[in-house]
Amino acid sequence: MFAYEKRLQYPVKIKNTNPDIAKLVISQYGGPDGELSASMRYLAQRYTMPVKKVGGLLTDIGTEELNHLEIICAIVYQLTRDLTEDQVKTAGFDAYYIDHTKALWPQAAAGVPFTALEFQSKGDALADLFEDLAAEQKARTVYDNLLRVIDDPDVRAPLKFLRAREVVHFQRFGEALEMTKETLNQKNFYWSNPEFDRQTTN
Amino acid sequence: MTSNNLCCCPEQMAMAAVPGQEWCEPYDLCTALKEGTVFPCLNLTFYKAPAGESHLKPASDSPDAGQREREAAMTRLMEVGFAINDLTLYLDTHPTCEKGLSLFRQLSEERLKLLADFAGNYYPLTQLSMVTGNTDQKEYGWTEGPMPWEGACI
Repeated sequence: MFAYEKRLQYPVKIKNTNPDIAKLVISQYGGPDGELSASMRYLAQRYTMPVKKVGGLLTDIGTEELNHLEIICAIVYQLTRDLTEDQVKTAGFDAYYIDHTKALWPQAAAGVPFTALEFQSKGDALADLFEDLAAEQKARTVYDNLLRVIDDPDVRAPLKFLRAREVVHFQRFGEALEMTKETLNQKNFYWSNPEFDRQTTN
Repeated sequence: MTSNNLCCCPEQMAMAAVPGQEWCEPYDLCTALKEGTVFPCLNLTFYKAPAGESHLKPASDSPDAGQREREAAMTRLMEVGFAINDLTLYLDTHPTCEKGLSLFRQLSEERLKLLADFAGNYYPLTQLSMVTGNTDQKEYGWTEGPMPWEGACI
């Protein structure tokens, strides 16, 4: 089960309203490589993972991604909470404002709504772990892109933190891959699917 | 990685491999939170946001001493909490690493105390700390304090 702790994993304290930046950062909430996708991916895949420790790791990383989703939402919220009517009209936030006012809604930077089609839960340990490794790389790329175009130090600090987490998660999924390989047929890792076939080692 | 039971399967065609992490001396907790990992060997930065590009504020620039104190307490909680988060993932794949386990236990004890102190002095961050931190509390208390996304107490 999940229990709430009333704080962010990393502090967010933004002084300047900036809907332009909010429109970009929101992609890490509901975009194709966002934190919501990440969390749902790992929390969905864990049930059928054949190696117990890997299921545990998916639970812990999936939980951390929920913390990250909250950080991203706090950034978007603080960038737009003092939005004036004039800023709504001129700052490129108008389309979002019409549908959601200043509320948070999971979408990509280009307005595409969050969808479960953005991630996979395949039921094959190798396929799923490679999806997870790729997901961390894609999320890192988005943070790189955000850090290229955003100057506000109040926004950069949490983005830099979140980028670093993608690299650490990649390493852990790599270690999970090694733990999984150890349980497979050592001459042919693809001999069977450990999430489906009972006999997995020869 | 034999000391940590991390396997090194023989390299094979059509399969990728990632080397297991060796224990490396952790950052101090303040630097760890700023950089996003307790492990210097995993801090692989982007050139547009290099290591040390730290925008994390000092605990507080508030003129009010009480507020400064509260923010310092929250900052310590975040530092300890984050180090525990990062160590949790490390221990998931290195469950027998003694250095990792010992640091995890030490920080977890500090975290319990920090949560109790914060609940006693300000407001509860977890429901358990409502009883560990302030046992004579008559009020419910869980709804007290700013919401985390308001940026009011960091």
